[in-house]
Amino acid sequence: MKKILLLSLFLFSFPSFAAMNHGGMIMDEKGMIMNHNPDKLPKDCTEISEDVDITIRGGRKFAKDYAGKMFTYDKRDWQVPPCARVNVTFINEDDIRHQFMIHGLPGYMYPKGMFTIELYGKGQKTASFIVPSRDYTYYIHCEVSQHTEKGMKGQLKVGKGSGDLDSILGLTPPLTPDLYPIKNSHYTWITLIFSILLGAVFIRVLSYFLSKREDV
Amino acid sequence: MPNKRLYYRLIPVVFALIALSTWLQPDFFQRASGIDLPKGQNPQLSQALKVEKPCVDLHPEWRKAQTIDNVAISESLLCEPDNPYNIAAFVLGMNNVSMRTMMSSRIAEDALIKSDDLDGDGDPDIIRIKLEVLELNGATPDSPNPFPTYDIAPGIQPGMWAFSPKLRGMSVKNFRSQKANAILRAPSPVIRVEQGDKVYITLENTHYFPHTLHFHGVDHPFQTADGGDNDGVPVTGQKPVMPGNTRTYELQPRHAGTMLYHCHVQTDKHLMMGLNGMFVVEENRPNNWVQTFNVGAGHVRHSSVAIKEKFDREYDLHYQSIDKNLAKTIQQSNDIREISKKMHRVYNMSESKENYFMLNGHSFPYTLRDALIIAKPDENIKLRIANTQHSNIAVHIHGHKATITHYDGVEQNPAAQITRDVYGLSAAQRIDLNLQTTNDGLHSYGEGVWLFHDHVEMGVANDGISPGGNVALLVYESLLSETGMPNILRADALDDVMTNSYYAKERALWGKKEAGTLAPDYLRIILFGLLLGLTLGLIIFILRGLTKAD
Ligand SMILES: [Cu+2]
Ligand SMILES: [Cu+2]
Repeated sequence: MKKILLLSLFLFSFPSFAAMNHGGMIMDEKGMIMNHNPDKLPKDCTEISEDVDITIRGGRKFAKDYAGKMFTYDKRDWQVPPCARVNVTFINEDDIRHQFMIHGLPGYMYPKGMFTIELYGKGQKTASFIVPSRDYTYYIHCEVSQHTEKGMKGQLKVGKGSGDLDSILGLTPPLTPDLYPIKNSHYTWITLIFSILLGAVFIRVLSYFLSKREDV
Repeated sequence: MPNKRLYYRLIPVVFALIALSTWLQPDFFQRASGIDLPKGQNPQLSQALKVEKPCVDLHPEWRKAQTIDNVAISESLLCEPDNPYNIAAFVLGMNNVSMRTMMSSRIAEDALIKSDDLDGDGDPDIIRIKLEVLELNGATPDSPNPFPTYDIAPGIQPGMWAFSPKLRGMSVKNFRSQKANAILRAPSPVIRVEQGDKVYITLENTHYFPHTLHFHGVDHPFQTADGGDNDGVPVTGQKPVMPGNTRTYELQPRHAGTMLYHCHVQTDKHLMMGLNGMFVVEENRPNNWVQTFNVGAGHVRHSSVAIKEKFDREYDLHYQSIDKNLAKTIQQSNDIREISKKMHRVYNMSESKENYFMLNGHSFPYTLRDALIIAKPDENIKLRIANTQHSNIAVHIHGHKATITHYDGVEQNPAAQITRDVYGLSAAQRIDLNLQTTNDGLHSYGEGVWLFHDHVEMGVANDGISPGGNVALLVYESLLSETGMPNILRADALDDVMTNSYYAKERALWGKKEAGTLAPDYLRIILFGLLLGLTLGLIIFILRGLTKAD
């Protein structure tokens, strides 16, 4: 049923590419915003605690410092207070499609718990969402095929958050890590043998002093 | 003296230490990197990086159209055009050339004798050809490297054999060189005769193994006039031609077309080693002096009368492959008993794989030097294609659809001829194509530097490293440089592939680094070592104490 709804949504919005707003989707030829929410409060918030403006950039160049990865955001770790209104400006610095997609928001206000800004190419868009009050870490990523996996992943902590997510570039190690060979040299083996000898000799010395004390 | 109880009490400590050291045990050979990825490193090269020029322009004077000893030799704009003196000699026969032509070629004086205009139509009709067997990249007791060297692509020197016209002089370029003389090369030369010629082909077996000649699809009697073997098959005819011996085969082909010849001794191995070539019978015409050899195949610089009636240019395209394991069998020993065992008994053709794919004796990028098809708009170009690989080929020419006019040397009914863009050839098959360069959206999409290659994808790589294999180009003259190289879109396009390290599988693509290695975690190694030492020391202390306490 949801699929049919979504499909009819697309059918309605495709004929003209002018900005339209259909069931939480604002689309134009530059991109798409889903579940923009500047005013509806989550059940557990009585008022907007604070307006937080964040600017997040996405693109290949931000992954340059992470050899072996391809795309990422300029900053992958964000924190806002509970019940804040987050005004996101997402800037795409590549000529291809990227997304700012956040998961885990309350489903009764954000269908599927998602808020998304998608840019079809270079450009920027701004939209807002209001976070609930509980301490929680929300998952941010770009869902274009293999972008998340090759670096485009981040997190948004509300309040104290609920810990860090895995596999965020420069922040947390991957959950399923890649294995790399270790470059051992003769120093490795000398260090190991020397440490073993040191340990053994320590016991010998210790026993020598023990027996001396007994002799006294 | 402490009593035994003290020592017994220490035993749990040993176990605790073992548990602790197991827990702290460092990784010695591979490890996850944690948060930071390894910095990466440039690949280790096993040999110094050598970048080659796409074209070493040795003989620019050979390119232009010229007449030598009254033989008209057409223009050949390739980087490595065929030696025009050789062409003159191959057209006239060594008995009819000037001393200058003779001295400018490396062909033996008795390699090709043409005489007797039997039908009085102005061309010789008795053709006597002598072939030798040569080895490229073979073993030598004087060096661990192959000799004489013949690179099919940068740094790739598989052991190969080829027939060649009988030569004179050294097999190497000069006394100091290890490189094969330009005329010693793969593939075996294309042999061209005229329909109705009396052809005597003598195999002079200069090699260390027995061989024969077998003519595939070329009209020949089963026996020679005096009852000798004329089919070259040891199990139905005479013993093979032993090393140091010769045998003359006789043909008078009644039918014209693109055919083959090959050795029929241990055929699976000897054919794949390179003892196979194209054999073209040209239609009978008056004053038809044909170019008897096309060494290295490719552009025919003196086409027959019948071809010139219909076509602007003619190319022989010979597709060959190499199994690197078979090629190795001749490179590891200089004892012919050992070589024979390795090739004829240990090596198993039914487990064969093809690793290198050549067009006219070269793999990309060396195909750029002598295997281009050069064209102008609105031409008809005759392409004779032969497949002597054991896998099929599916030749495709970008931007063009050509018409298949002949299958295995037999003309297809013109009304039923097929124009298409992939030409399939099974093992030993031949087709003739009429490539029309008319920009009509069907036969050609216009001038360009158009790739042509086998579409069986293993064929476009050198032992799996792409681009390589039989990739070559159809280049229009307007897009050809003075040195016969295509004017490609970027200057650095060939920088990677024209290096020795690229095909040695040591050069990373797109300028990237490799992930590389991680440094050892010394802190954990020291802790682990100390714990291990403590455990050992403690065990010795306990054992000694227990024995003493007794
Ligand atoms: Cu993306
Ligand atoms: Cu043979």
